[in-house]
Amino acid sequence: MAACSRIGGGGHSMDKSITLPPDEIFRNLENAKRFAIDIGGSLTKLAYYSTVQHKVAKVRSFDHTGKETEDEPLYEISVQEEITARLHFIKFENAYIETCLDFVKDHLVNTETKVIKATGGGAHKFKDLLEKKLKLKVDKEDEMSCLIKGCNFVLKNIPHEAFVYVKHAEPEFRFQTTHPDIFPYLLINIGSGVSIVKVESEDKFERIGGSSIGGGTFWGLGALLTKTKRFDELLQLASRGQHTSVDMLVKDIYGGAYGSLGLTGDLIASSFGKSATADKEFSKEDMAKSLLHMISNDIGQLACLYAKLHNLSRVYFGGFFIRGHPVTMHTITYSINFFTKGEVQALFLRHEGYLGAIGAFLKGAEEDNPNQYSWGENYAGSSGLMSVSPDMFPMQRTRSGTFDMLEMDRLERQLVNLPLLLDSSSYIPDTMDLTEDAMAREYWLSCFEEALDGVVKRAVASQPDLQDARERAEKFRLKYRHKLQTLRHQPCAYGSLTVRSLLDTREHCLNEFNFPDPYSQIKQRENDLALRYFQKVVRSVEMLNWEDRQFALVKGLLAGNMFDWGAKAVSDVLETDPAFGFDEAKRQLQERPWLVDSYSKWIERLKIIVE
Amino acid sequence: MNGYHSPDEGDTETGKEETAGGKQQRPSKESASRTKAADGAENAVAAAAGGGTPRDRLASNSRTRQRIDSLKKNRPPFPWFGMDIGGTLVKLVYFEPKDITAEEEQEEVENLKSIRKYLTSNVAYGSTGIRDVHLELKDLTLCGRKGNLHFIRFPTQDMPAFIQMGRDKHFSSLHTTLCATGGGAYKFEPDFREMADLQLLKLDELDCLIKGVLYIDSVKFNGHSECYYFENPTDPVQCQKKPYNLENPYPLLLVNIGSGVSILAVYSKDNYKRVTGTSLGGGTFLGLCCLLTGCSTFEEALEMATRGESTTVDKLVRDIYGGDYERFGLPGWAVASSFGNMMCKEKRESICKEDLARATLVTITNNIGSITRMCALNENIDRVVFVGNFLRINTLSVKLLAYAMDYWSKGQLKALFLEHEGYFGSVGALLELLNPT
Repeated sequence: MAACSRIGGGGHSMDKSITLPPDEIFRNLENAKRFAIDIGGSLTKLAYYSTVQHKVAKVRSFDHTGKETEDEPLYEISVQEEITARLHFIKFENAYIETCLDFVKDHLVNTETKVIKATGGGAHKFKDLLEKKLKLKVDKEDEMSCLIKGCNFVLKNIPHEAFVYVKHAEPEFRFQTTHPDIFPYLLINIGSGVSIVKVESEDKFERIGGSSIGGGTFWGLGALLTKTKRFDELLQLASRGQHTSVDMLVKDIYGGAYGSLGLTGDLIASSFGKSATADKEFSKEDMAKSLLHMISNDIGQLACLYAKLHNLSRVYFGGFFIRGHPVTMHTITYSINFFTKGEVQALFLRHEGYLGAIGAFLKGAEEDNPNQYSWGENYAGSSGLMSVSPDMFPMQRTRSGTFDMLEMDRLERQLVNLPLLLDSSSYIPDTMDLTEDAMAREYWLSCFEEALDGVVKRAVASQPDLQDARERAEKFRLKYRHKLQTLRHQPCAYGSLTVRSLLDTREHCLNEFNFPDPYSQIKQRENDLALRYFQKVVRSVEMLNWEDRQFALVKGLLAGNMFDWGAKAVSDVLETDPAFGFDEAKRQLQERPWLVDSYSKWIERLKIIVE
Repeated sequence: MNGYHSPDEGDTETGKEETAGGKQQRPSKESASRTKAADGAENAVAAAAGGGTPRDRLASNSRTRQRIDSLKKNRPPFPWFGMDIGGTLVKLVYFEPKDITAEEEQEEVENLKSIRKYLTSNVAYGSTGIRDVHLELKDLTLCGRKGNLHFIRFPTQDMPAFIQMGRDKHFSSLHTTLCATGGGAYKFEPDFREMADLQLLKLDELDCLIKGVLYIDSVKFNGHSECYYFENPTDPVQCQKKPYNLENPYPLLLVNIGSGVSILAVYSKDNYKRVTGTSLGGGTFLGLCCLLTGCSTFEEALEMATRGESTTVDKLVRDIYGGDYERFGLPGWAVASSFGNMMCKEKRESICKEDLARATLVTITNNIGSITRMCALNENIDRVVFVGNFLRINTLSVKLLAYAMDYWSKGQLKALFLEHEGYFGSVGALLELLNPT
């Protein structure tokens, strides 16, 4: 771990002094180009755009036509430096804003930027500070349009951005597959008040309603009732309370259910209805819980009424009231289910806290037009869901744990759905969601953990000429192991957990430490062999009759995949028997029926096409 | 219903003998538990039999038979009560016959006379019962009898004392049917039966509510209109209360604000549905006010609210945007966050109780207005009648609702109010006694 630099002078109060590990929090500042900031009531979100230089493996093939060279490689791999674009988003408490701005200023090297886009309720309050510290002109952007722009951006670019929250379920988060068509939707933003926004397209949205009973009501009224100052503490009180001692339930009035209306006895008939007395004391916890129910139910009800009126079924919730708190997500979900009888699902967003900052940034980045590209979440540089949630990790809420990060890498091209897919919206590329299957999750996490030594070894070996390869490889080991540990505790940290995302995370961590492809040499050797073998395989396959040929192809695919995924069993075989080859792999295949076996169906369909 | 709730005949006889014999002690614990056990068995039977056939029901209900026997000119015997037992308040309507003949007066049993005298000669009963004299309907003709309709209320928490009084005054000897609605009709039914030997006829509260509204509006309020609205609701100077003719009321959104709130869409006198409801109602206002200010009554809370100022407590649009949020058509005076200023410690410490009471009132009222408006849009109804005891002596909320409906709907929605605010359920219950459906 890099040495931490302590910043923040002696003049600051304890609260404002903070240790910032520069390698980990405001990364790539030296190449930062453009800034945006979203200052909310308690959290600040800083966004910047930077360029990242890293090594990439480039492949160049040679022309071998007519030559039968046994020894010469068929292609060449060269490691080159490439510059790509990255978006950084950092979230921290407003208390640290001054320290963070100082840090940013100190590490800013050659930016040509003159302005900083700012949004959020606090943008006005901190305008002078921003201008003084960063020497950038503050350019204020409308909060709501930033929010919508940011929301569209994450919904389009981040798979598994939206999720349904199911308390006590395993897993509690049910991620939604990204729908290519995200519009129209309803966004319920619960800040101090509530705004209800109907979004019809990238540029068209309308605030169709709102309510004054929101997060500010919970906080303000909660503070009055319980003498508890902090929002998070209020939520913690609420999660321990019993609302039934404060609320008047249907059964308190009826003695049971109100059967003819289908109202069960446990429904709240009147929030705080039992506290209408001067001679009884109520516990803070119970009052906070009752208040939380009252506000969540009210917002849920209004959301449903608006969704119904505008005929919208996708309803996303965001704002500081939600901010990943399980207790508020649960009460909102409950309310939506109750009022729509399950017709509308309450959807939450993994990066809800960043929407404003992302939107403000996008507004200032029109010349680079980030919307022209596809962007992918960089798992190495992103903290993951609820990394600082007080409900999940009360212990982690130390000073340095208050930073949450999101990094997005620009992809070379705009991604589109595979046009050959029958229905792209229902296609799930992964066979297994490891968040749902604890045993499979444990198997794969252990598998990747045990393979880590080998990967580190390969990484070092892949760069024999570079002296710092070993040191970087060790850093990679630490980082990836930490990611795997996080995923063991919070399988939902980065959306659905799949073997693919575990591989992606490993790749992102390797890239982070400049190992574009530790396997490049092995691949080259194997590819060389494979290409030389190719003609023979094709010829032998062609000799078979149609049905046998299809079966041979499928067996070949399965055998080949065993190598490609590098599963533990295969790597064991390879380690012990270097001569293990394709034919051996095919022989190792189990007899049909396979674990997932749709071969016969496939053949039937193929026959129709052939005929 | 009758089959379900009728007591075992043998048991009733014993019970009656006891009371008739003037033994005023409470039923012993043993006998109470015996009754309970019997009830339990009965319920199981009733449930299994699906409520029983109509014939069973008639045969098993000795009291109904007695009542029918004693009917003269197809009228139930006096006293005529309708009762609505809500979460916070019990609303009682009592018809005082004014056309009693000398002969009738002679026949009138002492119990009945004493009840009549007690109710009509007092305006307060015990420490918490109150007769709303200003609401009394005079010279009303009901079922061929002329008389006055009295409106009485007391807190639901005093129900045990009320039932005890029914026992002490041998109410059960009058062989009247006590028609009751509201949740308390269900909750307190066993108490009425066990403590006072009184059988309740339980009625659905929403049926009663609509019946009551339509009836009171039709008989008018002592020659005046029962229904009213505000002309120029958004102009504090020009705003004026005006009578409204509710003769052709359908479709109608009926919003009943009691402890909680029910919103009904009424399409004809017997076609209605409960659209939705909210738990943020009168009970929430009073409950929060008690916690925030230490007050203990609705009157106190309202009085404080009248003197208070909500803008110190609430965060307004102009507090955030410096003025109107024009882009979204939000005026600067609109509340952006109820109690939003109370997030700030300094402001919390300097706030006065009156302001907190006012903000609570405004928050609850505006929220009801907002949900109502959405329901009206979803149901495509443009007339809303607000009733319920939250609106009693609550001009602030009445005017605020009138304002909110008009302003946010750009004049499309009309807010209507009724003078007898919270009594319609009990009126409906009384009507059920006189004209059983």
